[in-house]
Amino acid sequence: MKNKRRYVILALLILIPSIVNLSVSLYNRNMPELFGMPFFYWFQTLWLVCCSGFYLGFAYLMRGGAGEGRGGDSYKNDWI
Amino acid sequence: MIGFDGTIPFVGLFVLFIVLGFYGKYWRRGDLNHVHEWSLAGRRLGTALVFFLIGADIYTAYTFVAIPSGVFAKGSLYFFAIPYVGLTFGVALVTMPRLWSLSREKGYITASDFVKDRFSSKILSILIAMTGIISLLPYIALQIVGMKSVLTVMLSGTANSNTVEEISLLIAFVILAAFTYTSGLRGATLTAVFKDILIWITVIALIVVVPLSIGGGGGFATAFKNVKNQTYITVSESLVPGYTTLVLGSALALYLYPHAINGVLSSESAQKLRTSTALLPLYGVGLAIMALMGILVYAVPSAMNFLSHFPESSRGILVVPSLILYTMPGWFSGIALLGIFVGGLVPAAIMAMSQASLLTRNIIKEIKPNMPASSEIRITKISSTAFKFVALGFVFIVPATYAISLQLLGGILIVQILPAVFFGLYVKSSLRKEPLIVGLLVGIFSGIYMVEYTNNFGALTSSLFHTTFGSLYVAVIALVFNLIISFGGSAIMNKKRLLSYGEGSSQ
Repeated sequence: MKNKRRYVILALLILIPSIVNLSVSLYNRNMPELFGMPFFYWFQTLWLVCCSGFYLGFAYLMRGGAGEGRGGDSYKNDWI
Repeated sequence: MIGFDGTIPFVGLFVLFIVLGFYGKYWRRGDLNHVHEWSLAGRRLGTALVFFLIGADIYTAYTFVAIPSGVFAKGSLYFFAIPYVGLTFGVALVTMPRLWSLSREKGYITASDFVKDRFSSKILSILIAMTGIISLLPYIALQIVGMKSVLTVMLSGTANSNTVEEISLLIAFVILAAFTYTSGLRGATLTAVFKDILIWITVIALIVVVPLSIGGGGGFATAFKNVKNQTYITVSESLVPGYTTLVLGSALALYLYPHAINGVLSSESAQKLRTSTALLPLYGVGLAIMALMGILVYAVPSAMNFLSHFPESSRGILVVPSLILYTMPGWFSGIALLGIFVGGLVPAAIMAMSQASLLTRNIIKEIKPNMPASSEIRITKISSTAFKFVALGFVFIVPATYAISLQLLGGILIVQILPAVFFGLYVKSSLRKEPLIVGLLVGIFSGIYMVEYTNNFGALTSSLFHTTFGSLYVAVIALVFNLIISFGGSAIMNKKRLLSYGEGSSQ
């Protein structure tokens, strides 16, 4: 049961940003503007940041799987 | 033309770039006579380095030149690149860590290695390697077009500018070939970090300086008022299906390109790969800023005046370099222009390396299986050099605008390996090699036919095909054919086998 809920959350973390990216009619509008930029442009740019948020959530939930190489679990020396 | 104050930082930073490229050989030393050490940097790259390397793979001259050029000429339709990068990393998160784990376990270096093992089919693996190599050629050519646009802007107005431009490109490529030959992916990774730093400085400077230099109540407001055309503000209703399928098709295609997979496999662990992939949409913000330059330029009279000296078809690719030249101080434009220049050079190196791995491992080795490891690495290094010069020759022969359109064709071809590579990661028994081969070929040839048909068998300017559902990106239509054949054919074959073996004796 717990596993099932985890999979649903994982799926949503990928599906929500993807569906928004593909729903053009959602953002294909002029108003409201931001710094003179139509909604179409600033929304899609801002949504990239939101995508990263969802994807980081996905990456965090997936951490520490088996057979994933050195450093799969620990965050030591993780950046270079 | 760029002044002396801009030339010095440009040349100085290029020298530093060369030094980094050669120094890569000594960085995290490994035995470079092994293919995985040379082309995957020993699979030892952490989160930040994978971020920079894949960032360098993905955010290329396509970003700095082709997308602003499209927005400049055609308007909001070309902003599809932004949701496309948002979507593609979701696709990557689902597929790439699994490919990474399988590759680590079984020693794969390319997607073809995986497909050969998964479906035990040499033919399928060779076809996939060939698709990868061919689809990258126009992609590399596009990088060179981007580098050329920087040189054009820098040299405009000087005597013999064309000859100087071609000689400069040739020199840059000889240097590039020399350091990828000696340092492999290590050299490319170090220069990728260098390139990314310069690009980010440029992007931030552009988004601050260009709107300020326009003045008069906000740069964007003025620019959008100047274009006075609805196609620059939103996507027209008739283009919405095209926009959606361009986003979808491009997002599915990106992580099938050999250079992207090459970057993925150089990661040290699956988790580091996930974290860096999740962060990569942020890099897309830089792409969005570059794309917006295609509109902002309309409010910069000096840059517009400069562009008017060029034929209309080649103005687009000069948008970003000329904005840099006309809004930034001389010394800074040297730095920014070098960023764009190496922004084409580094991806070109990585792409040629991944082409070389495919040619050696998945085509030549299939024909000559007893090749010793020492010849394998030698052929890989030599062919990586050869591919760079093939692409360079291509640019000297084919006009620049044509090269950008050919890149669209590359996407249509590469996405056809999706059923074998992406679905192959998760399903096994419901996919068989024969339908996969037929599906791949049908996808490729129907895609080429639709593109040719839609452009009246002339110069490639559009990749949207008119259907009853509206105009759709050809890559997506051809992929649908391919998927139907791959899955449908496999289902029929499995059912037949089930019938001939009788119930209970089959799996």
